[in-house]
Amino acid sequence: MSAVNYAETELSNPQARLTLESHPVHPFPVPERGTQYQDSILKGLIPDESELTAGVKIEPGTAYGFFTDTSLCIGCKACEVACKEWNNLPADGPFENDHGRLALSGQSYDNTGRLSCTTWRHVAFVEQPGRATEMAPFQSQWLMMSDVCKHCVRAACLEACPTGALFRTEFDTVVVQQDVCNGCGYCVPSCPFGVIETNAHDGKAHKCTLCYDRLKGGLEPACAKSCPTNSIQFGPVDELLRRAERRVHDLHEQGARSAYLYGAPGGPGATAGIERLNAFFLLLDRPEVYGLPAAPTLPSTRVRAGLLNGLLTMAGLALAAAAAITTTRRS
Amino acid sequence: MSSLPNYGRRQARGGQLWAEPLAPVSGNGHMAPYRGQTYYDRPAIKPSHYRWLITGYLFSGGIAGASQIIATVADLFGGREHRGAVRAGRYVALAAAMASPVCLILDLHTPKRWYNMMRIFRPTSPMSIGSWTLAGFGTFTGVAALGQLISDLTGGVLGRGLARFGGVPAAAGGMVMSCYTGSLLSATSVPFWAAVHRLLPPLFGTSAMSTGAAATSIALDATGASEAAHKGLERIALAASATELVLTLACDKEWKAQHVDSPIEHRPDMARAYKIGVLGFGILVPLVIHAVQVLTGRRSKVATKVADASALAGGFVQRAVMTFGGNDSAERPRDYFRFAQPAANGRGVAA
Repeated sequence: MSAVNYAETELSNPQARLTLESHPVHPFPVPERGTQYQDSILKGLIPDESELTAGVKIEPGTAYGFFTDTSLCIGCKACEVACKEWNNLPADGPFENDHGRLALSGQSYDNTGRLSCTTWRHVAFVEQPGRATEMAPFQSQWLMMSDVCKHCVRAACLEACPTGALFRTEFDTVVVQQDVCNGCGYCVPSCPFGVIETNAHDGKAHKCTLCYDRLKGGLEPACAKSCPTNSIQFGPVDELLRRAERRVHDLHEQGARSAYLYGAPGGPGATAGIERLNAFFLLLDRPEVYGLPAAPTLPSTRVRAGLLNGLLTMAGLALAAAAAITTTRRS
Repeated sequence: MSSLPNYGRRQARGGQLWAEPLAPVSGNGHMAPYRGQTYYDRPAIKPSHYRWLITGYLFSGGIAGASQIIATVADLFGGREHRGAVRAGRYVALAAAMASPVCLILDLHTPKRWYNMMRIFRPTSPMSIGSWTLAGFGTFTGVAALGQLISDLTGGVLGRGLARFGGVPAAAGGMVMSCYTGSLLSATSVPFWAAVHRLLPPLFGTSAMSTGAAATSIALDATGASEAAHKGLERIALAASATELVLTLACDKEWKAQHVDSPIEHRPDMARAYKIGVLGFGILVPLVIHAVQVLTGRRSKVATKVADASALAGGFVQRAVMTFGGNDSAERPRDYFRFAQPAANGRGVAA
């Protein structure tokens, strides 16, 4: 296991100890239980495996989410692959060549294109223009960000769903019940982040479930587990928020002054009634650069005033109609 | 909080840039379009799959609701000479109310699960509000039409009583039916729809009233009606068209002010449909004909027929422009980013 390996490295190489101490790889201590699993072949499922991989015991009633730290993302797309593997999603993409086959986008390394009904993690690649010698010595201004469903605390898709197929789980995540959804598609234009989509093949809406099935089995979500740089961190949202604010503080101290949180309470992404994104991000440029809205709004706030105006107008027209009928009366 | 969002190079100037408006244009509080970077100009939200079936529903649902209102008002306030309008309104409402759920169910990706709409009631979702409204409205519209049929066959009081018993609640449902579809579109994240969320339900309501009056008028002709009934309908249509013109211009102004008018500005086909179909056939032609006929007190049967056909065609084009215009709008990241700027929210886009 990784924890054991780190310990060995530390002992055998004093220089490595220095590196590890100044740049801790794990944001949480690996519990001692981790040393019990040293065989290369496991005898069965590890109970509460997430304790070993994410430092978290998953319990119903707690809000879980992702902290996606884009300053750590290296664009390896392991999250995309892990998600597709675990959730049995097909290999596909929006870019096609003349023969209708999957093709390259020509837009940096992003050939995935977008979140869709069959793509629940999408790594965005932003190559900022400029000469390397003129840029700040930080990631060469090459931004990478693994996008995902935000699992909003007040979710537009859930509020739009007329069948109750979209529901809030015991982990404070938002999931589509595939046996209830009738594919009305109203959640699709409602989502302020363009996440959820209906699939024409099975006629249902699909999106990231924050690995609802894995959480139930005590496993950390597939994307977070596969992330080799801990850019995607899974855990209770409160704990993640604390960790994220520390990270922003550290980055500011190190000179990366542009870092900020997207989706934390009171910040961009959590505006106008959305309150908080359970899957939030550390970004290094304007949200729009990553394809995210700076101040998304909750569609359900646009129901009452309009409907009231409409009913008042109809009442006025009904009165006008009564006048029209009365004035044309002969008997 | 240590996490002040500063957005990269702009940090030197300090301050929370995300919370500031992009660039105020003038003293009227309007802001410039979004001119910053986007992600390869890829859409930031997903368009709906709504096409002709939903256009058809927006059209037929409006006619059903409005013609039921007209029938009930004519029943309660009118005399014997208005009975033709009452009958025509109730039958038109029945026909349109029967077409509506067919359009809606066929539009589902999984139509055999249509009944899941009746599983819950969700007041935050106009789709849910509408499903229940349509169910109640459809039931009472059926009762009203059945009463009308009995009345037509037997001529007795029993049928008229049953028709009124169904008609009054049906007309109340018709008030919601004719305008809630505006909220259905604007309670989304699509800029073209959401930017006019206060205006779209009244606009759809007035359009429903003018198309409902037109459809009732055509049905009235088919059954041979009194002049008084026609004159009543004409005045209703006039009031509806005049209000519709005001609301359409108000919407136009709001789209431009918020820089989300791309579908009717940068899409030649939609711009043409909007100018000729919506403004011309939908509003101006019937408005002028009705105004002249009401003011002179003389009615030409041909002119009325032209006005009715024009209003119906224009009303359908209006719903089509709104449906497809919204889908076009959702594909434009700049319109959406402009809509989702903090200051835009302060301008009444959201509470």
